Amino acid sequence: MNRHITVRSTAFAVTTAIITAFAVPALAQDVPAGYPADYADLIAKAKEEGTVSVYTSTDAAQSQKLQDGFTKKYGIKIAYNDLGTNGTYNQVISEAAAGQTTADVVWSSAMDLQMTLVQDGYGVEYASPEAAKLPAWANYKNTLYATTVEPIGVIYNTKALSEDKLPKTYAEMITFLRDNKAMLQGKVATFDPEKSGSGFLHHSNDARNRKDFWDLAKAMGEDGAKIYSSSGGMKETVVSGENVIAINIIGSYALDWVKESPNLGVHFAKDYTPAFSRLALITKDAPHSNAAKLFVDYMLSAEGQALLAEGGLPSVREDVTAGLNIKTLNERVGGGLKPIAVDEGVLEYMDQMKRVQFLNDWKAALGR
Amino acid sequence: MSTHAQAPAAVELSKAAAEKKYPARMPRHGNASLYRRIVIGLLAIAVLAPVCLIIYQSFLTAAFFSPRARFGLDAYRYVFFDKNFYKALGTTAIFSFGMVAIAVPLGGLLAFLITRTDIKAKRLLEILVLVPMFISSIVLAFGYTVSVGPTGFVSLFIRDIIGVVPWNIYSLPGMILIAGLSHVPHVYLYVSAAMRNLPSDLEEAARTTGASVWQVSRDVTLPMVLPALIFAAALNVLLGFETFGIPLVLGDPNGIMVLTTYIYKLTTLFGTPTYQLMAVVAVVLVLITLPLVWMQRKLLRNARKYAAMGGKGARVSTLKLGKSGQIIALSIIGLWLFVSVALPIGGITVRAFVDAWGEGVSLFDQLTLANFSRMLEVPSLYNGIVNTILLSVVGGAVAVAIYLAVGLAGHRNWGMSNTILDYIVLLPRALPGLVVGLAFFWVFLFVPFLTPLRPTLVSLFVAYLVVGLSYGLRLLQGTLIQVAPELEESARTTGATIGRTWKDVVIPIVRPGLAGAWALIMIIFLREYATGVYLMGAGTEVIGSLMVSLLQTGAMNTIAALALISIVLTGAGLALALRLGAKIHD
Repeated sequence: MNRHITVRSTAFAVTTAIITAFAVPALAQDVPAGYPADYADLIAKAKEEGTVSVYTSTDAAQSQKLQDGFTKKYGIKIAYNDLGTNGTYNQVISEAAAGQTTADVVWSSAMDLQMTLVQDGYGVEYASPEAAKLPAWANYKNTLYATTVEPIGVIYNTKALSEDKLPKTYAEMITFLRDNKAMLQGKVATFDPEKSGSGFLHHSNDARNRKDFWDLAKAMGEDGAKIYSSSGGMKETVVSGENVIAINIIGSYALDWVKESPNLGVHFAKDYTPAFSRLALITKDAPHSNAAKLFVDYMLSAEGQALLAEGGLPSVREDVTAGLNIKTLNERVGGGLKPIAVDEGVLEYMDQMKRVQFLNDWKAALGR
Repeated sequence: MSTHAQAPAAVELSKAAAEKKYPARMPRHGNASLYRRIVIGLLAIAVLAPVCLIIYQSFLTAAFFSPRARFGLDAYRYVFFDKNFYKALGTTAIFSFGMVAIAVPLGGLLAFLITRTDIKAKRLLEILVLVPMFISSIVLAFGYTVSVGPTGFVSLFIRDIIGVVPWNIYSLPGMILIAGLSHVPHVYLYVSAAMRNLPSDLEEAARTTGASVWQVSRDVTLPMVLPALIFAAALNVLLGFETFGIPLVLGDPNGIMVLTTYIYKLTTLFGTPTYQLMAVVAVVLVLITLPLVWMQRKLLRNARKYAAMGGKGARVSTLKLGKSGQIIALSIIGLWLFVSVALPIGGITVRAFVDAWGEGVSLFDQLTLANFSRMLEVPSLYNGIVNTILLSVVGGAVAVAIYLAVGLAGHRNWGMSNTILDYIVLLPRALPGLVVGLAFFWVFLFVPFLTPLRPTLVSLFVAYLVVGLSYGLRLLQGTLIQVAPELEESARTTGATIGRTWKDVVIPIVRPGLAGAWALIMIIFLREYATGVYLMGAGTEVIGSLMVSLLQTGAMNTIAALALISIVLTGAGLALALRLGAKIHD
């Protein structure tokens, strides 16, 4: 009898040991180094939820590696909704009003709209274990995180211009536009801040930071600049040579475009290269709140950041070696990288009076 | 965009005679009035829910779901005091009437040449002439920029010869010309149907008095088809008012704005979307459209009177063109086809296989298949292709069944309910597809029992169904009316119920027409792009709307590849339509 018990308890102990031996390394593998011990719980709950719904303005193609990496690591499906900046905002507030929140993570390049969502209470606070690895400007009250840093620059047609002819500084750009009217007349492109949220963000950020922004706008006006509502429209016209140069274009896209379009060049001013970020937040009533946390952590982790950078979206972390990171990007653009901080500053032009004033000034500068 | 033709001159003109001779009305008793009321009621809900939501939204000061929203005329005040609105309205009017000025004479001429003369290759031309109608305007516009844009391959070729590019498609005249040429098929459809039904005895009589071919055409044929021409003109004004793709792609760079792109601008102008302002512009569009619908109805009634002069069964003889006539006629059609079909499709095809083009670029150095391989790498892209096929093939079939149910409800019924039906059907066409899509997004979000359907293809299907309603129903009505009333009457006299009559007599007779209608609806669903912009989500992407969203990030290579795939699918749909015996020219 006694012996029997001993055998059984031994067997039990062995079994337990075996289970533990397998289980512990499995968990250790899952919980990334430096994460809190209870993170395994979060992973387990997230896996139970099984899916995370992402509303975004990022093309699926650009984030495919990130998506695949996340799904492979955790076996959690990503419902990826590319809705554009306005579509994203529109759907998030509509769903919340209907009490039908479907979005778990909102990941958009419209920094002002993202901040508006946070201010209006659509986001929820989450202290990511990765937060410490980010620059201070990239984290707004643990609610809104910058996941990328993307320079704003110039694209030009290499058959019409060579890089050495391009101005090196912001001030030189103004002179360049004024001095080459004959060549540039009707061949300068830029965002239309009335029709494009990104365009508005880029232009108004310049207006906040550069006193000579309005000189630049006037110089573009003197060249009969054409205004576009999308990056696609601008890129196509510069690729084809219809426009010689496009100003205030999304440089992260451009760095990718020049790889496949031989007649397209990308250029940044050495003294001043603003950069925007794709901001991520977790929605207040996220149906998969654990998976959402896991996804945000993954996006901010070295692994996720590397996958984003490989997809052409430079990393906010200095320790990421794939693609460009905030440090190597700064070197690439000539040292003048000025990321737009994730703070209330981006809301300045959400004030209707200021916005209308800005647009009126813009139209006046462009002579329209 | 609901830019659909009001189809096969719908109610065939000579059938008017039939209506007079036979008591086409069903007896009051047992004429399926309950069925009719239910169907029209359901349809009214489907169409009026989004329309009412838009009207309601226009009288609020914020989004209808916002706690800050209150009643007021602020939105109307803003729009009516905005000088940009009047500018856009003016541009839209010029654009629409300019388009009509090009499309109506040219469409009329093509209809005349193809239906009333012995022009060569008639069967082929009949099909080719309709092609531009089946390609979405956004695809057309992209195609034109690659071929005849400022640095398009045709433009550069011309510049090398004569030193300058003599045109600019990024101007109002350029947009009008392109829109005008691509709307020729819409005119052709109506006018050719009218011409086909014209008895030639009047023309022959005129010829015997010694009048020349052109005198006869001007003094006899033209007045007889005038109602159809005016009808087509009214339709094209309507289509002009809601055009979105051409102004978006061609007008945008130079700040040329029409009402639909003005609505688009309102989504960003204030930072956050201003639904109330968008709604006001949509309401304005409806108010502009309703009188046009009323006019169309009136014209259609007159057109019937006109055709009745002829009498039934007159042999249609064709005008002999002669050798030089053939050459001139074929050249006119050839030139038009080159400009409206070859240029845009050529442009898209070239763009899809290169990664760079334009000034100083040899296209042969840039050839690549990479644009297509991306379709397989990115799930949302192949989802988009699969969903588009699914929506058009399966959705198209279901849509035809629904349109048939509605068509039967209005069949042989000329009462008040039919008038209601006509307006209901035409209402959604007055609204830009973008707005219809947004309204349906809200309907599926806020109506409790519909919410589970929102993230599925069903929500897209319902929106497509409503957007394609006017075109689809006209197709079906045109088919149904061809069933000789005496067949139905004989069934009824033997004691068959109306349901049984439909099942055993009407539907079997119209079955070939249904197959053709299915293929045509398929094509209409294939080319749709604006409606899905707000409705598509993860797993429910569609090609047309993907192109619009990709435009934001500049993936033009991908857009071109998608556009070409969409053209190929449309071609397949058209081939199927013809195989199934669709009477697209009738």
